[in-house]
Amino acid sequence: MQYIVRSPEAEHATSTGLNNRKLLMWAFLGSDAMFFGPLIATHLIYRTESIQGPIENVFNIPVTTISTFVLLMSSLAMVLALAGIQQGKMGMFRFWTAMTALLGMVFIGFQMFEFTEFAHKYGLTPRTNLFGSTFLTLTGFHGAHVTVGVIWLWSLLFASFRGKVKQENSLDVEIAGLYWHFVDIVWIVIFGVIYLVGAYGVEERVLNGAHALAGLGG
Amino acid sequence: MATNIAILRRPLDPTGAWAWITTVDHKKIGVLYGLSAFAFFILGGVEALVMRLQLAQADLNVVSAATFNQMFTMHGTTMIFMVVMPAGAAFFNFLVPLQIGARDVAFPRLNALSYWLFLFGSILMNFSFFTGSAPDMGWFAYAPLTGSTFSASSSVDYWILGLQVMGVGTLAAGFNFVITIINMRAPGMTLMRMPIFTWMTLIVSFLIIFAFPVITVAITLLLFDRMFGTNFYDITAGADPLLWQHLFWVFGHPEVYILILPSMGIVSDILPTFSRKPLFGYVTIVLAGAVIAFLGFGVWAHHMFTVGMGRWATSAFAVATMAIAVPTGVKVFNWLATMYGGSIQFKTPMLFALGFISLFMLGGLSGVMHAVVPVDLQHQDTYFVVAHFHYVLFGGSIFGLTAATYYWFPKITGRMMSESIGKVHFAIMFVGFNLTFFPMHFLGVLGMPRRIYTYAPDMGWSGTNMAVTIGAFVIAASIAVFLYNMVRSARVGQPAGANPWGAATLEWSMESPPHHYNFAVVPTVRSQHPLWDEEANAVEPPPLPYVDESSIHMPSPSYWPLLLALGVTLVAGSLLVWQAHAIAGLTMGAASGALALISVYRWVFEPPVAAEVAEGAAAHH
Amino acid sequence: MAPTPWRGWGASRMAAQHDLHHEEHAEKHPSPRRYIQIAVVLCVVTLIEFLIFYGNMDSATMTGIILMLSALKFILVVGYYMHLKFDNWRFSAFFFFPFIIMISIMVALMALFSNLTR
Repeated sequence: MQYIVRSPEAEHATSTGLNNRKLLMWAFLGSDAMFFGPLIATHLIYRTESIQGPIENVFNIPVTTISTFVLLMSSLAMVLALAGIQQGKMGMFRFWTAMTALLGMVFIGFQMFEFTEFAHKYGLTPRTNLFGSTFLTLTGFHGAHVTVGVIWLWSLLFASFRGKVKQENSLDVEIAGLYWHFVDIVWIVIFGVIYLVGAYGVEERVLNGAHALAGLGG
Repeated sequence: MATNIAILRRPLDPTGAWAWITTVDHKKIGVLYGLSAFAFFILGGVEALVMRLQLAQADLNVVSAATFNQMFTMHGTTMIFMVVMPAGAAFFNFLVPLQIGARDVAFPRLNALSYWLFLFGSILMNFSFFTGSAPDMGWFAYAPLTGSTFSASSSVDYWILGLQVMGVGTLAAGFNFVITIINMRAPGMTLMRMPIFTWMTLIVSFLIIFAFPVITVAITLLLFDRMFGTNFYDITAGADPLLWQHLFWVFGHPEVYILILPSMGIVSDILPTFSRKPLFGYVTIVLAGAVIAFLGFGVWAHHMFTVGMGRWATSAFAVATMAIAVPTGVKVFNWLATMYGGSIQFKTPMLFALGFISLFMLGGLSGVMHAVVPVDLQHQDTYFVVAHFHYVLFGGSIFGLTAATYYWFPKITGRMMSESIGKVHFAIMFVGFNLTFFPMHFLGVLGMPRRIYTYAPDMGWSGTNMAVTIGAFVIAASIAVFLYNMVRSARVGQPAGANPWGAATLEWSMESPPHHYNFAVVPTVRSQHPLWDEEANAVEPPPLPYVDESSIHMPSPSYWPLLLALGVTLVAGSLLVWQAHAIAGLTMGAASGALALISVYRWVFEPPVAAEVAEGAAAHH
Repeated sequence: MAPTPWRGWGASRMAAQHDLHHEEHAEKHPSPRRYIQIAVVLCVVTLIEFLIFYGNMDSATMTGIILMLSALKFILVVGYYMHLKFDNWRFSAFFFFPFIIMISIMVALMALFSNLTR
């Protein structure tokens, strides 16, 4: 028996049959989860530690619910775009890719509106207090992820007009889609844990002196 | 079109220095990592010698207290991030594709990017020496000490930005090796047939991609505090002074295993070769490595027993820490059992491997001592801790990496290293190491704190400190011997042949040094020890089928990884410029950002194998 | 002999493995109709979350319900939109292993910083 067989027939695709780049994207998403984790944890740890300035009472839950809806719909548009290119329906792919990117831009618009309102109406900036630092950094990094996704999607769309994105390499779209959905699930967590749970009964917390030093008269 | 500009045309067949600068070949990148790591090893060693000169006697004034702070900060940072990690990466790069039967890593250009980010990040951080503001706060950079209130100079910024750039490169390398090992194995190379070094590389790569995001967050928040006035570590705004410590050590403890597991893999490959026996308990060694890595995420707060976490938290982390001793012990016993009954050959790599086992075990034992909280409270921030982690990181990691250098040098260069000089090297290094670090245990128990720049004569530490300093220079002498041996052997060493040590694994089945395409024909592997099985069963490998070299398409060299790394590093540098001069910083940031974006764009639309090569070969057929 | 292409990602763009992979799973891929059903569920759950926010329950119960509903949305997106339910187990392992480590570390950190353990 030979223990190392050297024959040209041995050429094969990959050991697992899985695509390198798709596996890379999943590994990256797992790693990116380890990036958002500490940011969320820092925010939660500091939830009741701000000693001055506004806290979760600045949230505009109805508006954020709408922007959450927008991002969820962009995920739907993304899977429809993928279904389009997998079936070779380029029109369907292009329409839904454009929709995904546009909805992503609308979401960014909501976020810019929110940040501006915080700054002008409540005087809340990253420098104001711990709430401002942690919340704006966390959602800012999420917004940066969305922005990267939007650029990626427009690039795919333009590349498709140059004939570089076709049914054969629908994997390019699938990988961009994985990234896009991941950004969506991070938002699902942020909306639930940071916005809804964070702002629940916040008026009472403010009245009772939720701020760390308020009780000391500080 | 930009492709018509000569300088940006793809380098298809570069020669000389350009062949190295534009390379995407894992073997060349491995050599670059190794040479850079050795250069930084000398730099970090000089920093250590400066410290030892200052501490040789009481009340000396060789350097100022401020310089001493820079020395211990940069010594630690350099040795961890610029020496042990890239030296490990050097062997990952050179060996993993050879050991699993692949022609290259999964993402060759990403691999080049990792190297350049490591190099440029290291240079960026060390550049601070020229501006007189080298980092001076300890390699752990505890906030709030490192906030702008207490560290007003840009020293911490250099540390953060340098580490950030290196960290991105390390993450990219981690992803690359995870995918390579999972996906690029030759047919028949099942996971449980992989050499242990490749196994440990896989585990380390997972540790990197899970742990590095946490330090990325920690230093990003610190950077925001310092540059944009946020409050993450500002206690006057209500921040908790322990936040940094927790985030840092959530990363920092897995990092310890990132540093030691490669050496464990190296030794697990070397011992069987020189004991002429298969590794004892292959499966348990693999599982022990995985368990160490997994538990490594649950013990971080044992670096913080003295901060007052409360007895529940302290007890939990103490127990978890003791638990890690179990898989570590499993490995040590497996190594001993591998040698038991074998016909041991004391070649230089074997000597360093034995040095690794004995010294690492001593360091491990003093480590378990610190899991006992009352003992830890006594030892915290004394020289006992310094002794402990040098036994693990020098006696462990560096001895392992030195063993690897002697063992795989013939494969890398095609020439053997001198055995006689190697044995002299081992003797001097082993004696010097123990003379340096063993007395530190006593200094620690006698109460000498870490990071002090001098001490009074009546403390009773002077004689021991002198011994330590002499030991440090003995180590330096041994490194000089090592360097001489490498340079000499690369020029006039005995030709090595394919398998000079009579080893069992796949990388020894090819000529030394290997062809740029590694395997003329991708092998199908049918055993954990294919070369030994062939030898034992007197299998004559059949002559290789004729392969036309030009039909093997390897990825073409590329400028873009280098230029992207340069762009990213300059963006980081522009933040430093921005602090001194806003307009200049913004201009530099915009220009270097544009360079980075163009590089990404060109990279994405550049095929891995240049079209000219693919077409040329097609025409040829 | 035939050219032996290097097997990196560029080669795999064209390689048959990608098509194989899709043929293998093609019949299991959900249809656009199923995607729209999922989207409706996601919207309804978000609406329920919104209503709960304006409801009147004690904050522990509210937190528990919101966490469960968020987890439901999370699983739907990961399982269907990201195809993990239908895809190779290795992708799930790559994602959920660090995810579980992260959740554990977050819980531990929050316990360490809470007054309970000090």
